[in-house]
Amino acid sequence: MALKTVATFDVQRLEILSPDGSYDKALLPKVSNDLLLKMYRLMVQIRAFDERAILLQRSGRLGTYPMITGQEATQCIPPLALKPTDWVVPTYRGGGVYFARGMQMRYALLYWAGDDRGTHFPDGNKDMIFSIPVGTHLTQVMGLAWGEKFKKTKGVALTYLGDGTSSKGDLHEALTFAGQFKLPAIYIIENNHWAISVPRSRQSASQTLAQKAWGYGVAGLQVDGNDPLAVYAATAEAVARARAGEGPTLIECETYRLGHHTTADDATRYRADKEVEMWRKRDPISRMKKFLTGKKLWDEKKEKKLTTETRSWIDGEVKAYEEFPNPNPLDMFANNYEHATPALIEQRAQLEELLKFKGGAKILTELPPVEGRFP
Amino acid sequence: MRTAAPAKTRTMNLVTAVNEALDLALAADKRVLLLGEDIGRNGGVFRATEGLWKKYGEERVVDTPLAEIGIMGAAVGLAVNGLKPIAEIQFDGFMPSVFDQVVCHLGRIRSRSRGKLSVPLILRAPHGGLIHAPEHHSESPEAYFCHTPGIKVVVPSTPYDAKGLMLAAVQSPDPVIFFEPKLLYRSATGEVPSGHYTVEIGKARLVQEGNDLTMLTWGAMTVTCQKAAAKLAAEDGASVEIIDLRTLSPLDLETILASVSKTGRCVIAHEAPNTGSWAAELSALIAERALLKLLAPVERVGGWDIRMPLFRLEQYYIPDADRVVLAARKALAF
Repeated sequence: MALKTVATFDVQRLEILSPDGSYDKALLPKVSNDLLLKMYRLMVQIRAFDERAILLQRSGRLGTYPMITGQEATQCIPPLALKPTDWVVPTYRGGGVYFARGMQMRYALLYWAGDDRGTHFPDGNKDMIFSIPVGTHLTQVMGLAWGEKFKKTKGVALTYLGDGTSSKGDLHEALTFAGQFKLPAIYIIENNHWAISVPRSRQSASQTLAQKAWGYGVAGLQVDGNDPLAVYAATAEAVARARAGEGPTLIECETYRLGHHTTADDATRYRADKEVEMWRKRDPISRMKKFLTGKKLWDEKKEKKLTTETRSWIDGEVKAYEEFPNPNPLDMFANNYEHATPALIEQRAQLEELLKFKGGAKILTELPPVEGRFP
Repeated sequence: MRTAAPAKTRTMNLVTAVNEALDLALAADKRVLLLGEDIGRNGGVFRATEGLWKKYGEERVVDTPLAEIGIMGAAVGLAVNGLKPIAEIQFDGFMPSVFDQVVCHLGRIRSRSRGKLSVPLILRAPHGGLIHAPEHHSESPEAYFCHTPGIKVVVPSTPYDAKGLMLAAVQSPDPVIFFEPKLLYRSATGEVPSGHYTVEIGKARLVQEGNDLTMLTWGAMTVTCQKAAAKLAAEDGASVEIIDLRTLSPLDLETILASVSKTGRCVIAHEAPNTGSWAAELSALIAERALLKLLAPVERVGGWDIRMPLFRLEQYYIPDADRVVLAARKALAF
């Protein structure tokens, strides 16, 4: 009889760029200056977009909206390590992810205004709709990755989950399969420390969320999620492993939700300003700016130009969003099946009758065209 | 049976009535505990548990990890173990996670244990749409639960009933799914007695008496039916009887059949898709037991047989007073 150690694990944490702009040269990912500048530009633009979206909501021009501010690095950077033909499945707090994948943000506004036309991915992208009941996508992403492996495409599937969602059973099943079948899947835990009012510390007694990987034979790593370079390096390595057939990776990115959960939430009810202020100092955007300035890639003149460009870009997106005609109520019957069922054909006619009852016979000719497929 | 209501009353909205019932239940019985996401420090996303965490402590008002299967399974275990858990699922659209527990275990443990064990828990969830909420926050999943044997399903539409039914659910020896219409949380106000009283589970509420047509409804649709009935009275001179079922399972069939037998015409109005809905069950029961009293086919007014659209079109998905009126006119003209 003996008591022997049969397995040991070390949970590593990757940090490359510090909040003060200093960095570890040996760990720097080998990327072009253009890509470094793109990282910065995307983060600046998505923050400005976030601020405008909140203003739109506050003035009654948008529905409930989930804030991104503080999480720009975890949102905008991982997609840059992928091809459009790799799958990406964001969470509902995924505006920055879709933006980095090239989606026009007028559609994000449209979605959060409660309009089904707001789901609109660029052609050629393998983007997936996000899931609002959290965690249900985790096993689906495993299936997407399985499909890539089955088809021998060398494609990968990358997805996100929050620290709250890491408590859901779905993650257990997703990682069990992904590890067992060595699937090209990448799971990024966007640990922003708060699941609405419940802190990370109350989600799990586990010391890190990254270490959950080891239970499933999955590679795991913790990353400073407010460090764009570390997020990029970790994702790129996971992508390379996945493409090489070495299996899945779980990356815990430690970041922080600087805003409320959504515009319907009031974070001052449950967390201290002091904590928020501490995280504000670890901002991903300001440290990237310091880094680029230090490398002589950035200066105030360029910053000013970016600010102006960003403002006019957002103005354009908001204008385009507001110019969408009201949705046609009949649109909801489109696309429910490849071919509409007899029941839906009958019910759509009933809705037409209702619309005529409300607005007169003329109403049907005045409605905007239905975009979706029917019957 | 309704216990005598204490004389003192207060005007309050439906969410405050729920809160008051939970407060009384926690105060009266140390075995009662609340569990769910954001129900503690934050007081629930609709503030249904506001102040209770502070008053009763974090061992009895428990912020759980974000895991609905965990919440539901824990509530089953706690209840079997002699406690009275009142679990909250934050939104109706998050309830499918708990189906395994509900369908395979919740209503079955009593009979499977030959009556030795029971699961007297309460599962609370907001219900229905029309608050301009994001996707999966406006669903009406009651039929799935009503279809499951061994559990009771309750949907109050007034503050009085919300408090009285919640306190009755606390006394229930069997599991109760307690839906709270989120549109009515703050818009429904009424007189509510202070102190403890119960509204019997399994008894419908007569909202208004009438002779020409019966409207069967529940949840926020009760208010829509009242608007429709007012329009029918004014424009058609029709006298409409409205019955708010309050409890969907077990059904108050006696009240339903008596009303339909009296009027001979029936409209069933609800928010869920019609196919396989609880309205379908009601329609079948009426056809089976009161066919010869009917003067017109039963009309069902529900959501279309498609998913709930995002909120800009929800007003065209969930029936409004116009749709109820049109259905009623069809029945009246038959």
